[in-house]
Amino acid sequence: MRFEPTELTDTELDLQADVREFLVKALPRGSYQPALGMDAEADHAFSRALAARGWVGMALPKKYGGHDRSSVDRFIVAEELLRSGAPIGYHWVADRQSGPIINRFGTEAQKERFLPAICRGELGFSIGMSEPDSGSDLASLSMRAIKADGGWILNGTKTWTTRAHDNDWLICLCRTSPRDEGNPRDGMSQLLVDLESPGLQVNGIPILDGTTDFNEVVMNEVFVPDVLVLGEVGAGWIQNTSELGYERGGPDRWLSTFGVVEAFLASLSQDQLTDDIRHTLGRLVARFWGLRNLSLTVARMIDSGDAPSVESALVKEMATRFEQDTITALLELTDFEPSPESSDLFERLFVRATLTGPAFTIRGGTTEILRSVAAKGLRR
Amino acid sequence: MTRPINSPDVRVDPVLTEATTRLFAEICDYATVQAAESDGWAPTVWDAAVEHGFTTASISESVGGGGGSLADACEILRIAGAHAAPIPLAETALLGGWLLVGAGLPLPIEPLTVPPRRPEDSLEIAYSEDGSALLSGQLHRVPWAGRAHQLVLFDASTRWVLAVPRASYETQWATNMAGEPRETVIFKNARINADALGKAKPDITTESLRERGALSRTMLMAGALEAMLDLTLEYTEGRKQFGRSVSRFQAVQQHLVWSAQDAAIVRMAAEVAARQATRGAARFEIAAARVLANECATTATRQCHQAHGAMGITQEHALHHLSRRLWSWRSEWASPTEWSEQLGAFAYDAGAEGLYPLITSGNC
Repeated sequence: MRFEPTELTDTELDLQADVREFLVKALPRGSYQPALGMDAEADHAFSRALAARGWVGMALPKKYGGHDRSSVDRFIVAEELLRSGAPIGYHWVADRQSGPIINRFGTEAQKERFLPAICRGELGFSIGMSEPDSGSDLASLSMRAIKADGGWILNGTKTWTTRAHDNDWLICLCRTSPRDEGNPRDGMSQLLVDLESPGLQVNGIPILDGTTDFNEVVMNEVFVPDVLVLGEVGAGWIQNTSELGYERGGPDRWLSTFGVVEAFLASLSQDQLTDDIRHTLGRLVARFWGLRNLSLTVARMIDSGDAPSVESALVKEMATRFEQDTITALLELTDFEPSPESSDLFERLFVRATLTGPAFTIRGGTTEILRSVAAKGLRR
Repeated sequence: MTRPINSPDVRVDPVLTEATTRLFAEICDYATVQAAESDGWAPTVWDAAVEHGFTTASISESVGGGGGSLADACEILRIAGAHAAPIPLAETALLGGWLLVGAGLPLPIEPLTVPPRRPEDSLEIAYSEDGSALLSGQLHRVPWAGRAHQLVLFDASTRWVLAVPRASYETQWATNMAGEPRETVIFKNARINADALGKAKPDITTESLRERGALSRTMLMAGALEAMLDLTLEYTEGRKQFGRSVSRFQAVQQHLVWSAQDAAIVRMAAEVAARQATRGAARFEIAAARVLANECATTATRQCHQAHGAMGITQEHALHHLSRRLWSWRSEWASPTEWSEQLGAFAYDAGAEGLYPLITSGNC
């Protein structure tokens, strides 16, 4: 494994400057409560405004409304949005993984139908992988699609489906052939499911911070036409595995708590600055810097045509633990009783980070699964 | 305009990496490192390093150096660290040679040392009208002071660099936790002739010397962390318990993955810092890399030792050549806390709005 150091070129730095300038105007400091990383509000107007600048679906082909930009360009936009706590909730998943997966495996008609709208920031996608009895062991999933005239009939339940209540589409991994006990990964397909379909019900799952962005999606005789089978029937497992690759190793895995650190710094006056605070700030900044370098290298590797799946797993496992460590490190510097109602932004963000923190090392592949992916890679 | 981090004069030629790795693997085996602990010196390693120009790497050939960039010298150090090379490579090439040449003084081919200037030092320097200097007092934790041909001293208050000959001081034996000489140097009114003094060029400061010292340790540590990971992968693959390699157990895999992360982030940090220092000011990068190296040395040594079980704590297994060095190097050229506090001060000065730009640009 080799992470070759890289840095932004002058052209890439220009893009960074453009994004910073845009965000300063679009989201004036103090005018909004910053989100913590990808766990952000869905602001349809913001997504459209960003898309109008060419910063949604940027790595997708021009032919389909994209901009033929690189993974590094997408990295630059993503890191600036995340560190600003921008309301990216609506387009985030479509931009990060649904668009790329449709572009890679979809039919011509599917690309023409979905990609331009994704690039306009007008389509929100949810991820249809987990089920009540299938999480990390995705090969055990049981959602079944039965062939019907001109399409498929879906029955079953998907769960932990973030933003299904607000999004438009779900990429649903399901069984299009009966389960073969010897080869449980065979016979799966990815179906593009309209979240407005008859027979489809979205039930919110309140989570411990009081929000209900999490859902279960119950399908009862939901019809999906043949033209909405993503890629090939039966190739679902392979397609889905490559989709997971897009989820890992990016700035969304180490910036979830950056806003809390920034707010802490903003709340600090010179006479409060102690050696302990300097020490903690120094350790945090060193990690942010080191992780950013690794993550940027992963993006560069993707642009060179490599498939850095082990590298991504290694970075994500380390980075998301760091996100959690950040909260503990800041706790040691505070003397408040954390209150969600506090008038202090740092305190409110600290509360939010604490309450959403457990998800950091679960979403997009649990720490335990990532470790085994990385360990296999180390053996080679 | 700044040269890109991957431009040929900033990055390291893979040929250098490959050749240096091959050489150290040949000359610096387990027995050599082990023997150096009792003898305090590894003559074969030193001679080979001199022969290949490693001891004066990054110093211009026009003044008798081995040539190459600072990044090249750092890469050699990284590889030396991976092989636990028991010689004052950093002191001679990166520190002593840099000081001598930066003060217009001649560059010897023998080993040099540079004192890290500890708070407990009691050095006093009196300058005479004839241009000579009189040294008295003590310097502590001076690497290979007894073996060095010259001790190179930078006096920040007068900006003199002094090439102090070995004959001018006595030494008291002391080591670091890895058995590397870190001696006490005792001056008893030692007269240093005027021709051994040179005025330092402006880029030599207490801070820049301290940064180079920290960079040298960070490079050594990056190499040692990667070598320690390799040893651990090899050991856990070969060691069988319950009928299979212990590397197949998830609890052991956690040690392997965490150690691989430690090695990866420190190597990345060290290389970026070295390349940045090759291009210009690198105070943010060096401090950040140093902080990461110190933290990861602590976690990786714990994980790798745990994965090695009892074998790892024997003298017979090479792990301790690396782990004891990592434990020692953390505290050389300023304590871990000094570096984290330094970096924290940069962050505070950047302010909330400047924090992310600081992380992406390193400008402070």
